[in-house]
Amino acid sequence: MSQVFKVKVNGQHELTVDASQGNTLLETLEQAGLEPHYHCRNGFCGACRVQLTAGDVTYINDPLAFIRPGDCLACCCVPASDIEINQ
Amino acid sequence: MSYSTFNKNQINPLKEPMFFGNSVNVARYDQQKHSVFEKLIEKQISFFWRPEEVDVSRDRVDFQALTESEKHIFISNLKYQTLLDSVQGRSPNIALLPIVSIPELETWIETWSFFETIHSRSYTHILRNLFTDPSEVFEDIVINEEIQKRANDISKYYDDLIFYTQLWQTHGEGEWEVDGEKHTVNMRELKKKLFLCINSVNALEAVRFYVSFACTFAFAERDLMEGNSKIIRLIARDENLHLVSTQQIINLWQYGQDDPEMKEIAEELREEALQIFMNAVEQEKQWAHYLFRNGSMIGLNEEMLCQYVEYIANMRMEAIGFDAPFKQRSNPLPWMNKYLVSDNVQVAPQEAEITSYLVGQIDSEVSASDLGDFEL
Ligand code: FES
Ligand SMILES: [Fe+2]
Ligand SMILES: [Fe+2]
Repeated sequence: MSQVFKVKVNGQHELTVDASQGNTLLETLEQAGLEPHYHCRNGFCGACRVQLTAGDVTYINDPLAFIRPGDCLACCCVPASDIEINQ
Repeated sequence: MSYSTFNKNQINPLKEPMFFGNSVNVARYDQQKHSVFEKLIEKQISFFWRPEEVDVSRDRVDFQALTESEKHIFISNLKYQTLLDSVQGRSPNIALLPIVSIPELETWIETWSFFETIHSRSYTHILRNLFTDPSEVFEDIVINEEIQKRANDISKYYDDLIFYTQLWQTHGEGEWEVDGEKHTVNMRELKKKLFLCINSVNALEAVRFYVSFACTFAFAERDLMEGNSKIIRLIARDENLHLVSTQQIINLWQYGQDDPEMKEIAEELREEALQIFMNAVEQEKQWAHYLFRNGSMIGLNEEMLCQYVEYIANMRMEAIGFDAPFKQRSNPLPWMNKYLVSDNVQVAPQEAEITSYLVGQIDSEVSASDLGDFEL
């Protein structure tokens, strides 16, 4: 199954991501020059929280921060489908 | 309902709420109601560190060369942090242990508070190196008006919860008069006090350290006071975990994943919780003003610090379901991030020093040949 997904950010930028590369969503946003928020980069501070308005993500590390419905933690997840996020 | 250190009733901790259920009896972690607290314990212990291992001796020379206004900034921040950790090193234990009802949370609270005592000891380590006799600095913490204002706001919700819990545990529910003052003790009131207390602690862990952190790291950006900055990095990493734990508690309540009455209370006291947060933000801004009253420091001024507080506050408030109240959406001090990143990830080679103790697993398979000619 293809692991290539589209990531739409703030309804404007559209990025293409190959999830099998193992880059976190945070890294993807950084590489696109979108300056996402972060502190720990390790799932335990919640600073990288973004709104996930469509699609699903998979966590590659078990996050310790509470993930409110409709949010995701960019530093420890990868897209699991085409997704739309607001940061 | 008096407290027992070993509740003899058969209880099922999986059915207990986080607080105000049956007191915990067996400290068991094979089954967990909220497993995140056990994960927080593990993470926190993996961060274990000792202040004495950080060499702060070079800071003494740096300190002598600081301007008077920079010295004021540096020492005032240490005083404020000493206050915060003095409170945090005891209060979660005293306020929350008598009312906690699940073992993983009980142990998290103890682990959390223990790490705050490491922070306290590290301030002594820093100050002892800077001054032959640091007494004057410590003594000022209880006299200094600016610090007093903060101490009052930080401790009052704890004190209130502790007092009412004591009344409840010695006399039960009812109307009680103490020193000529009437107090109504019932479960709803107790839970409200708990809710406000956790919100106040959450605000403390969320924003109250960040003005001081920013100053420390601004010195480090100029290659000054680097021993101190290493210690503060370790502290900042711990504080993130503490914050995540109070955010977890608040969210579990709000989403009705724990005590249903706490969900009602979270809705009922939403405005008050918001006000607690906004007051903490306001006090931090005033603190920035106090720090810079004699002049600012290179790379940082009052305005930037206040913007940073707003930026952090937005993020923290959204994490517990409030709308971001400030317009500062971008990070005004981008260099802060490299000090806040957990060292599990290397940002730059110079940041790569190992600060975590969990460097490997203990090898449980030791064969006789491994011991060689080792004899008892
Ligand atoms: S950066 Fe800390 S949780 Fe993602
Ligand atoms: Fe602390
Ligand atoms: Fe803390």
